[in-house]
Amino acid sequence: MNIIEIRGLKKNYPLGDTIVPALRGVDLEVAEGDFMSIIGPSGSGKTTLLNVIGCIDFATTGSVKVGGHEITSLNDRQITEIRLNKIGFIFQTFNLIPVLNVIENIEFPLLLMKRPAAEARKRADKLIEEVGLKEHAAHRPAELSGGQRQRVAIARALVTNPDIILADEPTANLDSVTGASILELMRRMNEIEKTTFIFSTHDANVLKYARRIVKIKDGLIEKEPALA
Amino acid sequence: MLLIRLSLRNLLRQKRRNIMLGSAMAIGVCILVVANSFSHGISDILFNKIMRYVTGHVAIRFNEKGGVMREIFRDRARAFEAVKGEPVIEDADEAVGMFARAIGNGRSDNIILVGVDTKKTIGKKALREVEESFRLVEGKWKDVESAEIENPVIISAEKAHYLNVKMNDIVRVRFRNMFGQDQAARLTIVGIMKNDNIFMQPVVFLELPREKELLGYRPYETASLSLKIKDPQKNAAALADRIHARLKPGIAAIYASAAGRDGRKPVVLLGFKSDEESKKRISGILKLSSGSFEKAFRKDGVIIPVPLARSLGVNVGDKVAIRYDRKFEKTPKEASLQVSAVCGSGDYPAQDVVLLNDSGFYDLYYDDLPAGPGPGAKAYAADATWSALAAPEWVLLKRTYNTDDYKKKYQEIARNKWKGTTIDVSTMYETASDILKLESVLNIITISAVLILFFIILLGVVNTLRMTIKERTREIGTVRAIGMQRRDVRDMFLLETFFLTLFSSFTGLIMGFISMRLLSLITFHPVDNPLGMLLVNGHLYFLPTFTGIAGSMLLIMGIAVVTAWFPARRAANLSPAQALGHFT
Repeated sequence: MNIIEIRGLKKNYPLGDTIVPALRGVDLEVAEGDFMSIIGPSGSGKTTLLNVIGCIDFATTGSVKVGGHEITSLNDRQITEIRLNKIGFIFQTFNLIPVLNVIENIEFPLLLMKRPAAEARKRADKLIEEVGLKEHAAHRPAELSGGQRQRVAIARALVTNPDIILADEPTANLDSVTGASILELMRRMNEIEKTTFIFSTHDANVLKYARRIVKIKDGLIEKEPALA
Repeated sequence: MLLIRLSLRNLLRQKRRNIMLGSAMAIGVCILVVANSFSHGISDILFNKIMRYVTGHVAIRFNEKGGVMREIFRDRARAFEAVKGEPVIEDADEAVGMFARAIGNGRSDNIILVGVDTKKTIGKKALREVEESFRLVEGKWKDVESAEIENPVIISAEKAHYLNVKMNDIVRVRFRNMFGQDQAARLTIVGIMKNDNIFMQPVVFLELPREKELLGYRPYETASLSLKIKDPQKNAAALADRIHARLKPGIAAIYASAAGRDGRKPVVLLGFKSDEESKKRISGILKLSSGSFEKAFRKDGVIIPVPLARSLGVNVGDKVAIRYDRKFEKTPKEASLQVSAVCGSGDYPAQDVVLLNDSGFYDLYYDDLPAGPGPGAKAYAADATWSALAAPEWVLLKRTYNTDDYKKKYQEIARNKWKGTTIDVSTMYETASDILKLESVLNIITISAVLILFFIILLGVVNTLRMTIKERTREIGTVRAIGMQRRDVRDMFLLETFFLTLFSSFTGLIMGFISMRLLSLITFHPVDNPLGMLLVNGHLYFLPTFTGIAGSMLLIMGIAVVTAWFPARRAANLSPAQALGHFT
């Protein structure tokens, strides 16, 4: 069953008086529980595609269905609800909230969902253990290494049990060993939590972790390359 | 809770910036609280430390025959009856004061001689209050009631210095008594008070009965009444209304006997109103059998009905001897009236009634208040026509509720020729609502000045918030991407501003109280300086009020939150994708 269905997706950005096409007619289907990588050179439209799937950017034309919802017809409040309940984000630069400690960062989305504090803390405790940061629970993000921060980001993305986790270049700011461990973790989480993972990368070394690879170039999806 | 936690933690992120902004806000609040307390203090001084002693919270003023200085009511017991049974009244005093020219040792100056009721005022609590308000540097308050000393008085140090007099010296005074006669008296200084309040410097205190005697009052007469009440701001107007309702006058009647050539008959003397409209009505309803309205309407005009004229054996031009019992004297009053007209028919009040022009009537009536109708005798009851035409016991002036109306009322009093006694019931808030206006003006000036200061501070708030939003754009993008609604992002920034203003306001409030305490420790010596009116015992006086402080804080928090609304909304409306792509 497809959790994402994209048809004829175009996304243009205005740049002064000119229009820059970022996506030029993307058709894509992603099955539930997939572990998929989007690859392509810089400026190919990877981030734009992830942003549109993640409902933080909007299609100029085309149809985008996420978890059965046609997101192009929803208002901001409904789209925000989808982001909160259905999607988890892992950012290249981690994007943790600096004034909250590790455990608070992880439970943050659950508190936005108005879940009881005790329940949120219980779920965050489970995840912090799974990502191996239990002893760092009270630390602020500034006190963690890059790899540790990304583990927190993964736990935060998983905490709401989302249908999809989107990771934009999750290993770009990490050394190769840490990057590999992060991808291992994501893969493990994919297996444990059965969550759909879509991550973008231009690093050929990380492709071995993907079960499906989608190549994008100049705003269009090319033929899917064979898995290594 | 999540938003509050985030807001409070974010507030601590930029400590130096927020401390500087918060300090500026705190200074603004401090100025506002101090200024507000100061202006309220001025009102309190004027109302509760000056007006309270000059007019009382509620004043009942009696003016006989329109005489501004003739503040007299002939029935003291009845005046006090009107204020009886009012639990809000703490004290009811006769307000007796007069201007006089004092001659000291080689110098003379004007003084205000004020009567103090030592029997009542010098209770323990009252004495303490008096001593706090008027500090004696020499002598004792008790000495003003000394019977061995000739007119013992307490004088202000400034006035004593100017008149070149000291303790036990004699000050001679010239003054005009209540009836316009020039009088002189000797006062003995038994106390010298130190008074930093410039308004109280010309005041010389004399025992009330002595003051009344000098002015020409008889023991059963009273001057205007000054009432001190509980919670005057709340109770004064309602109490004045109640007293006013109780003072509604009846018809003034003298139950007398009249003697003519043929004998003596019981009669009722009534005054008829002699204004043009009343005279026109009277000449329309009465048919004279002899005499004329022209003569009857003169000040000494007297009209009697035909049956009474016959039984007394008198006619126009004849004298009638009148005798009646007086209310406060043992011997009867005797007077002679000359008949001006005899009424043959028409709507005459009653066959035993003698009508007198109200001017002449009141001379008789007020000089010696008559006793009632006597045992077994019926009181005169007027019909509707004569209720309107007969002279009342007094004229009760309408109530007013602000200074403008009060001034108009007194302009009208000055224009009219009053024959009877006017009674006016007023509160100090209407006699001096200008003081409240002054407080409002001072507050407006303060708020305007502080608003300018706050405008500058709020520019800082906006600027800080814009800077904060710029610095935290990626963070806004993150929380929006995670699923925070726009409204929550906006509220998070508003809460930050609210908490910053709240903490600053409380700091400002504490600073304000400390400043007031320090300022009130400074001693001023304002001899002959109008600034003296702003002082209490040589110190600045502040009166902070809950409403003033809460209002100031709410105003500042309101302004800050409203100002923060626009940048906060801008932050909330940021596109998550653009915000995430933002680099600082």
